[in-house]
Amino acid sequence: MEDAQRLFLIFIGAMLVWNMVLIRFFALCSFVGVSQRMETSIGMSLAVIFVTVMATALSWLLWKFLLTPLGIGEFLYIPSFILVIAALVQFEEMLIKKTSPLFYRAVGIYLPLITTNCAVLAIAIEGVKPGFMKLNIVYNFSFIEAVIFAFGASLGYGLAMVMFSAIRERLETAPIPAVLKGYPLIFITASLMSLGFVGFGGLFGL
Amino acid sequence: MMDQIEEKVLPAPGAIEVPSVLEDLWAHFKNGALVENPLLRLMIGLCSALAVSIKAENTIFMGIAASFVLVASSFLISSLRKLISDEIRIPIFIVIIASFVTIVDLLMKAYFLSVYNRLGVWIPLIVVNCIILGRAEAFASRRGVLVSTVDAIGMGVGYTWVLLLMGIIRETLGTGKLIVFNKTLINLTSVIDPPRFFITFPGAFLVFGFLIAFLDLVHKKEGT
Repeated sequence: MEDAQRLFLIFIGAMLVWNMVLIRFFALCSFVGVSQRMETSIGMSLAVIFVTVMATALSWLLWKFLLTPLGIGEFLYIPSFILVIAALVQFEEMLIKKTSPLFYRAVGIYLPLITTNCAVLAIAIEGVKPGFMKLNIVYNFSFIEAVIFAFGASLGYGLAMVMFSAIRERLETAPIPAVLKGYPLIFITASLMSLGFVGFGGLFGL
Repeated sequence: MMDQIEEKVLPAPGAIEVPSVLEDLWAHFKNGALVENPLLRLMIGLCSALAVSIKAENTIFMGIAASFVLVASSFLISSLRKLISDEIRIPIFIVIIASFVTIVDLLMKAYFLSVYNRLGVWIPLIVVNCIILGRAEAFASRRGVLVSTVDAIGMGVGYTWVLLLMGIIRETLGTGKLIVFNKTLINLTSVIDPPRFFITFPGAFLVFGFLIAFLDLVHKKEGT
């Protein structure tokens, strides 16, 4: 019971209270770059969720069973985690292409972009290496907790992406002052959405 | 335009006019710092810019750290560009960048622990900063060592000044004070009641949105 509650708190905390994009500013490049259309942002979000969960699980195992026993985690965690992500992205591209061409057509073009999506590396580092996570309920994640954390955080990314693209589709036809057209308005919209997400602060004492 | 500049530099067998070379390098530097500013024009590397600009002091460290990685990896990648085969170039770039980030990570942890704790995960995340991989892919892997290094310095300066400006605006408005290295440079607390909104998360988006709108306006007025 205690455990389930903890997992639920981690999930909600990662998804809403500490939303990856709107509260913590991760992955803004893709947030601004690929959110023009609803379909593309759904595709991107699915790809990110897929890669993030896998990358965090693999990084956790790597950290626990290879880097920590050898005592080289402090020096090599950055290159090893980023290589895990890069290899995983490559592998998943091949896998999806072979097994599900339909899903590949929807998601495939976003896969190469994910290697440099900072949300993936951020979630992997925070979920695996102790000392980075600022959520006050956890310091050291177990395997299940790290995976739940990764799933919640990447779902939060997807939520923000989908909501934002819905707003952006409407904004295209709205009357806007010429000065604010384009990028300035994107950030002002993001600011208002972020204001909404700040409201989740304090939820369940997180 | 960029290609023309490059062509002028390359076919000079010995009799290079020094002023023209310097002018070209200056053009590359200005391109990174102003014309194609990574944050204001290319919209890359935004994540770290918005997150660390909560305090002006943070932005100085972050700017220097990211610029160091950018310049060092651009230098190394452009000097190794003939050895790196095309198919595996991205993993090689990432490993090179990650090594320099590790250097910065450990150095900051050793000498500036309080700043390191405040910046948190953003220091290791320099490795996925789009500016660095973007410059490596688009510039350093194709051009000469000197030009690439100057281009990287320009980009680094461009990144740092926008970051610093954001930090100064947000800290001054949000807390009423601007404190850099324990020195109070600006103190407005007696004049205004500081709106804390500016150092919150939505404040960062808003300040950046209006900043790019304002600088765009200035840009258009100048007509260049």
